[in-house]
Amino acid sequence: MKPVIALTKGRLEKQFLKFFEGLGYDVEALLKKGRKLQIETREFSFFFAKGVDVTTYVENGIADIGVVGGDILIEHQPDVFNLFPLPFGHCRMALAMKQDYQWPDQKKRIASTFTNITKSYFKEKGESVDIIKLEGSVELAPILGLADAIVDIVETGTTLKENGLVIEDEFLSFSARLIANRSSLKIKRDQLVPVIERFKEGARNV
Amino acid sequence: MFLPAGSQDETGIQISNRLRASEIFRRVTQKRDFQQISTPVVEYAHTFTNEVAGMDLHSMLKWFNGEGEIEVLRPDWTAAIARAIAGQHPSKQKWSYQGSVFRFDKEDTENRQAGIEIVHADRFFGEAESLLTAVTYLNNINIHSYVIELGHTGIFDALIAPFTFNKDDEEELLKAMHDKRSDLVEEIVGKSGNSELVKPLLALIDAYGSRDIIDQYRKRWADREDLTEILTHIEKLIDLLEASGVTEVIVDLGRVKNLPYYDGIMFRGFLTNDGSTCFSGGRYDRLYQQFEQTTSAVGLAFDVDELAKHMEPEQEPEKICIIASPETHAIAEKFRMEMEEQVVDIQYELKNQTTYHQIFQVVEENSQYKVVEK
Repeated sequence: MKPVIALTKGRLEKQFLKFFEGLGYDVEALLKKGRKLQIETREFSFFFAKGVDVTTYVENGIADIGVVGGDILIEHQPDVFNLFPLPFGHCRMALAMKQDYQWPDQKKRIASTFTNITKSYFKEKGESVDIIKLEGSVELAPILGLADAIVDIVETGTTLKENGLVIEDEFLSFSARLIANRSSLKIKRDQLVPVIERFKEGARNV
Repeated sequence: MFLPAGSQDETGIQISNRLRASEIFRRVTQKRDFQQISTPVVEYAHTFTNEVAGMDLHSMLKWFNGEGEIEVLRPDWTAAIARAIAGQHPSKQKWSYQGSVFRFDKEDTENRQAGIEIVHADRFFGEAESLLTAVTYLNNINIHSYVIELGHTGIFDALIAPFTFNKDDEEELLKAMHDKRSDLVEEIVGKSGNSELVKPLLALIDAYGSRDIIDQYRKRWADREDLTEILTHIEKLIDLLEASGVTEVIVDLGRVKNLPYYDGIMFRGFLTNDGSTCFSGGRYDRLYQQFEQTTSAVGLAFDVDELAKHMEPEQEPEKICIIASPETHAIAEKFRMEMEEQVVDIQYELKNQTTYHQIFQVVEENSQYKVVEK
């Protein structure tokens, strides 16, 4: 059976394809996939999913390996082999708020998609906060008065700037990572290791 | 009425396979002279969270008892069994158990396990007997497509022993090795000023595969008697398994303990078709230190729910129906007793005749009741 690779849809997908092509693999079928979520090539079975779902598919052995953002791995802590960083998808985690905003005297309200990362960040600072879980467009929360600040991933900082937010602190940096199912890596070693080694070599040479 | 997440009812093949798996386990272990033991489902949390057992309280189902102490639903068999058999006479060495463990951090809150523990016995004997019991059991439930993996906690421990790490870094390093996370291993080792350890640990992450790995590492560690002794030990177990007909044995020399009480050989069984883990276990001598005992202890536990999913359904015996009435039910019952090999159903009214191989009815003839084929 061909190795099954789960890929994160969207921004990481494009960067992965460029990286993958650079390793000498044929990416034509992947580029022409249209809205299909599953693609078979001569060597691999690919499927595309949201980052957090990639970890779920890999954890449950549906995919042997997966490409996912490091932010997702820290937030959700899936039970997978978290092998190594890939040379794309670089971003960092930031605490941001409205320019010249004064922190309130009472407990702060922080909006984030990354509630676990936010919790650990403030725990390390020794501060109790109320965390408001949002699924997207987190920048709106301080603007509309739902929260005092946000914790979110930042790639270039443009979205924050355009929404009148400034970075108060940056505390983690990530890139895309290669993950593997704990059993597949062992029992499909002969098929997976050559691919993993090629990824590793490619990541090293960038 | 609804069920909480992680709980489920069982019917059909899943429950019949699981009960059969349990019954076969009882027979296999009884035949190999294991004594059965059971521990209560409710225990003090301390049995599992103490410094030696080291389990995480967060994932346990827990509450305060009337005296303010934390009680839990049994989250793990090994620590519970150690508590129970530490007080038994040392001549009793081989124990088997079956029952559920309960955890929040697994897909299913309740997981049925069947396992063995061998204590106070010769170390190699205990490991060999554990593995061979596992092989015999898998054969008996007709699961033949599996891979056994061997690892050893002593390899990582011996490699880092000459170096100094603070407790947090060591824990983080252990986790990074467990996740085969090469960049973090490099970072932790580098920042702790032990850069000469980077290369050996990165190589160890990739030291998994067939037994050829052992030959490679025997050469690499030629000047490390402690490590080559471990390799010889693992190789002896592979020889034993291969001589007993197990064709797929792999090693992971970079495997580290995921529970603090593991202390030596570690083993795990993977089912080949979907990679699920069907058993795991290993040596845990240090668990007995909390009872002031220096002894040998090794064991393994099967995931019975996982086995039940992979077992072929049992061949159905012939199924017979006897149509009776309140007046003739006793006659039908007598007839049923004579049918030892078949499944015999008694009905007052035939609802679905396609489910039966044969249908009988009780009829009255000359003031006598008799059972005749319909």
